[in-house]
Amino acid sequence: MELKLNEFARCLQMPVTTIERWIRQGRIPAKKIGDSCVFSDTALKKWARTHNLSFCLPDEKQEEKPDQKMETLSEAIDRGGIYYDIAGDTVEQVIDSAVSAMQQLGSDTARRVLYESLVAREQMMSTGIGNGVAVPHPRTPLSNSGIADQMAACFLEKPVDFKAVDKKPVHVLFVLVATTARQHLHLLSRLSFCLRDNSFLALLSQRPEPETLRNKMAEFDQRLNNGE
Amino acid sequence: MDDRLLLIAIGALVGVCSGLAAVALNTGLHFMAGALSGLRTHWWLFVLPGIGAMLSSLFLEKGVREGAGHGVPEVVYSVSRHGGLLRLRSAFSRLISSCLTIGSGGSAGPEAPVVMSGASIGSNVAQFFSLNERQRIALVGCGSAGALAAIFNAPIAGLVFTIEIIVGEWSARNIVPIAVASVAGAQVSRLLQGKQIAFTHLRFEVGITATLAAIGLAVVTALVSIALTRALRGSHHFSGKFPLPFWVRAFLGGCVVGAIGLMLPEVLGEGYHSIRQMVEGSFAPGLGLVLLLVAAKIAATSFTLGWGGSGGIFAPCLVIGSFSGLMYHRFLEMLWPGLSLVNEGCFALLGMAGLVSGILQAPLTGIFLIVEITGGYETILPLILVSALSTTICHAWEPASFYFRDLVEKGQYLRPRTDAKVLADLSIAELVETDCKTVPRSMRLGEFIRVIQQSHRNYFPVVDPETGQFEGMIHLDDIRPYLFDPLLYETVFLEQIMETDVETVDIHDELSGVLARMDAKGLFSMPVVSADRFIGMISKATLLDKYRNELMVQTLH
Repeated sequence: MELKLNEFARCLQMPVTTIERWIRQGRIPAKKIGDSCVFSDTALKKWARTHNLSFCLPDEKQEEKPDQKMETLSEAIDRGGIYYDIAGDTVEQVIDSAVSAMQQLGSDTARRVLYESLVAREQMMSTGIGNGVAVPHPRTPLSNSGIADQMAACFLEKPVDFKAVDKKPVHVLFVLVATTARQHLHLLSRLSFCLRDNSFLALLSQRPEPETLRNKMAEFDQRLNNGE
Repeated sequence: MDDRLLLIAIGALVGVCSGLAAVALNTGLHFMAGALSGLRTHWWLFVLPGIGAMLSSLFLEKGVREGAGHGVPEVVYSVSRHGGLLRLRSAFSRLISSCLTIGSGGSAGPEAPVVMSGASIGSNVAQFFSLNERQRIALVGCGSAGALAAIFNAPIAGLVFTIEIIVGEWSARNIVPIAVASVAGAQVSRLLQGKQIAFTHLRFEVGITATLAAIGLAVVTALVSIALTRALRGSHHFSGKFPLPFWVRAFLGGCVVGAIGLMLPEVLGEGYHSIRQMVEGSFAPGLGLVLLLVAAKIAATSFTLGWGGSGGIFAPCLVIGSFSGLMYHRFLEMLWPGLSLVNEGCFALLGMAGLVSGILQAPLTGIFLIVEITGGYETILPLILVSALSTTICHAWEPASFYFRDLVEKGQYLRPRTDAKVLADLSIAELVETDCKTVPRSMRLGEFIRVIQQSHRNYFPVVDPETGQFEGMIHLDDIRPYLFDPLLYETVFLEQIMETDVETVDIHDELSGVLARMDAKGLFSMPVVSADRFIGMISKATLLDKYRNELMVQTLH
């Protein structure tokens, strides 16, 4: 086989200078003619294996894991949904009502699992992050529950004491469900970007229409995607 | 054709050529000896070695522009650093210069010059066939083995010397072609010069007393080896102190040798005639004179080689070794007159092995060379003992052998499969990581935080955006306290927190030196900066990766 030197180096994932030296020193079963390398495919693969190197030709693309697509806020909220008048006087009660209201949870067992893990998380430490907002979420990713990545916005019937950091009663929940820790952190970081914005907090306190909230989130998505 | 078969075939060719070179030098020496033998009686002829050494040094410096020296370290250096690249003119330059030095009476040997010549033949044949460096090194070895095998008519010694000293790597890939070349070289010599054994002798009856006595001999040969090594280096430094042209120095050194030779003609030339007498047991002088001869031969060799003559150390070693063996034997006989030792020829032979092993610190070469040039396999037990002990004692005193000492001092002693060799082969250019994000000094900390967010590195080079000049580094660890203080985001500029006094590496630096600096300063990463341009970073983390790759490629065949 024949390949250009730089392509050949890329196949071995080594710097061109190293490959050039190895060929010159006769350490690799390949010959250099002009600026291309001549080698036997099988011999080189065997050599690479015994020397703890990887060799794959450019056409047989290495099976790259497709980079997991990161959700945007609008996508997550579309899947999770926006709900109003969630009833309850205690943390457990509002979480129970919120989980019952959420539509995209699949089976009842999954709903149960989600409820229990959300409550367990609240018992450990409140997710009330201040300004009347709480972000209930499971402590570990629910990768096997069959629940898709989503975020549900739940406006409460009446404010509830969530033992939030600023001790203010909570009036809106963003229930975060993610299948991986990375996805979870990504959504949480996007959400917290919104929650730092006063106009967004003002909007939340007015119980916006679903359309208004979605548009606002899409606007934030746009800003985050532009590298803000 | 398969690469290995091809290499063996070319190796045989190289062996034949270097064998011819060895025969040519031998013939030249015989001719010189014959032409000058009639003149030996005149007293003023002590200038003859001087003239020979002068001509030889003039020829090397002016004629072919090669430094003095005996050639073996040069070949070893070329093998370890330049993949065995040698100049074509080296194929004959040392032959002519050493022929002048030795033929006129200088105390030196023809072996190292012939090794250099054979090595150069091998190297140039490899270049003719455009072979790679590994193959070229094998052919350099073939040339050296063929030459040594031919000049001593000793194929195994040629092979062992080459592997032990020149190539330094015992692997089948090297040994097979080198063995073939050794056979070819020895065969050429036998065809052209007859199947001669250099030093024939009577059968020795080696008993337990001789084997035990060999232990004492090993101590003597080791001491003499150390004395010779020190004398050679000492005289080299000493001669360098005289503000004289090199050829005058060579002339003076040669004249001193000639003067010693007036009184003790045994020290002149390669000295094989005296060895022959000693091994046969017909060497007349008594203990005192032999002791004097050891000292005189050491002096003559130092004045020849240390002052600018050209030649090898091998033959003087053999001569001094046999003198030492003889001296030791006579000393024992004097202590215990009734002791029934084997005859003195055997001890002359053991002394040679002891000295060769001690000077070269290559025990196998000593053993096989002596067995082959004397045909005396019955002495193998004390021979192994003397060689091994002598090497060990010398190694304790002089950790680097005569051939390698200069290389060790220059930091160029790079044997295959060693850490030093791997580091020497890897260059900074191969290790540098260029995916660093550069930042200008006028950037605010707040903007910089965003750069950090998008980078996966801990080091950020500060570069002038207009001139591209490298100005300093920012290491995340150093500025961590400021990163969490939003108050500083808009008030601090990078020029206030960057490190300007940074240790940098040039792209052409030697890796071993760079690593030593990293270790000394406790650094894990250093910026590579060439001509004020930032090129990238090198870090110990990537180094480990590349080092392992390199080690595997160099050691697994």
